[in-house]
Amino acid sequence: MDSGKVKFFLGEVLRNFTRNAGMQATAIGSVAMTIVLLGAFLFVHQMLAGVGKDLLNQIEISVYFKSDVSTKQEDALRAALAHDPRIASTQFVPKKQGLSELSAEEHGKIDTSSLLTENPLPDKLRVWVQDPQRVPTIAAELQTQPGVDKVLFPQDVVSRLLQLGDVMHRVGIGVIALFLVVAGIIISNTIRLTVFARRREISIMQLVGATNMYIRAPFICEGLLDGVLGSLIAVLLLVVARYALWPKIALALPWIAFNAAPINGLLLIAQLVAAGGAIGIVASWISVGRHLRT
Amino acid sequence: MISLRNVSLVYQNGVRALDNVTLEIGKGDFVFLVGHSGTGKSSLLRLLYREQLPSNGEITVDSIRVDRLRRSRVPALRRHLGVVFQDFKLLSDKTVWENVAFAMQVTGAHTKDVMRQVPRALDLVGLAHKSRMYPGELSGGEQQRTAIARALVNYPKILLCDEPTGNLDPSNTTEIMELLLRINLKGTTVLVATHNQAVVDRMRRRVVRLEDGKVVTDEERGYYYLGLGQGQILSG
Repeated sequence: MDSGKVKFFLGEVLRNFTRNAGMQATAIGSVAMTIVLLGAFLFVHQMLAGVGKDLLNQIEISVYFKSDVSTKQEDALRAALAHDPRIASTQFVPKKQGLSELSAEEHGKIDTSSLLTENPLPDKLRVWVQDPQRVPTIAAELQTQPGVDKVLFPQDVVSRLLQLGDVMHRVGIGVIALFLVVAGIIISNTIRLTVFARRREISIMQLVGATNMYIRAPFICEGLLDGVLGSLIAVLLLVVARYALWPKIALALPWIAFNAAPINGLLLIAQLVAAGGAIGIVASWISVGRHLRT
Repeated sequence: MISLRNVSLVYQNGVRALDNVTLEIGKGDFVFLVGHSGTGKSSLLRLLYREQLPSNGEITVDSIRVDRLRRSRVPALRRHLGVVFQDFKLLSDKTVWENVAFAMQVTGAHTKDVMRQVPRALDLVGLAHKSRMYPGELSGGEQQRTAIARALVNYPKILLCDEPTGNLDPSNTTEIMELLLRINLKGTTVLVATHNQAVVDRMRRRVVRLEDGKVVTDEERGYYYLGLGQGQILSG
């Protein structure tokens, strides 16, 4: 590689970047604010999604066996479920244990042994599934198994949570797209101004036979720099917020399980910086392209 | 070297800038393109470096069919051409040396070629001693010489000049024309669009006269005004 070429190129990028320092600062600041909002949104979104998922994962299907079920039938079903990839885990509760659990739940308020001469509870199998969305289907399948009397699961909760998750997902994508477009427009406008400021230089480059790619490159780098610097500042602000404000918020809202879902901070940071850089490239590509065509 | 066949150019607003122009310019020629403002001199030059596409006709520059040239091949064409303008088109925040080197650097030239060719171009135009100065510190003539050095730094076969002395006083004008002549003697084809009568009359070169987008005269050793050249030949 020709070091003189690299030096010339980087010199041009740096020269343009510093010559329009005020404009660049505005762009970087605006991108930073947009990315902060985006980051905060993603943070909350991830957390709520985590809480929802956590709740869904706790949902169990209760399979009640008929009173005349044979041990063989019970074992067959348990064995089948153990091999089913959709099933996370199962727990068999024989009627005896069911009774003691019940009395434990009632904290001994009811003395079951004195009240009952016979255990009225059926054998029960608790089933946790891998994907909460499949709860209704799996429950329906279980209902048809031999020896099964009733299959119960919190149907309302499951459908509400699934619906909520779906809505959140869509809203999330919409909001993210909106933020990215806003950041893109800001960068694009800044680059357009710098392109305008350098139209003379561009026309000379075209005149002496520079390729469009070569003319574009410094602007692309400029956009990339705007995007990455903006998002880095945003990440910095978000990290500060995470450690300075989060504990206070958590104290103020104790009923929300803040730590239910651990948030992958590094992944989030990488995503934000990558998003910033990508917007910068796309935005500057478009705004220079417009000028080159005329 | 340059050939136009039945070239017409009609702008979108309906103005007919060039009307069925046919012109041949050979290798190593020095040609003046004269005519009043708005007769299509600049338009003709713009067609040659493909700033503009003709409405009709064939244009060949250095064996390249310019009228059919794909957009992506335009940079390659322009590297074979040097173009000089009335307003110099220099970058004010770059020194003379940087302005000239810029033409090579933005076309991806190797640094060692830049280091070799830029001083040669500056020597040719006589500005080697001012290479560290900025355009604002130079006279008009020196600025135009810088622009010529930039046009020549890639060793083009053709130099196109659009009113190169339009902004210059007579002594600077003479200086620039002598430089163009010297460049022509080295083998570069030079095409100069001008309405500077004194220059044309003194140099006695081929003169192509445009009127309302048409070539009205094409004289081998012409004068600025129509007919004077022929008269000269008759009386001489």
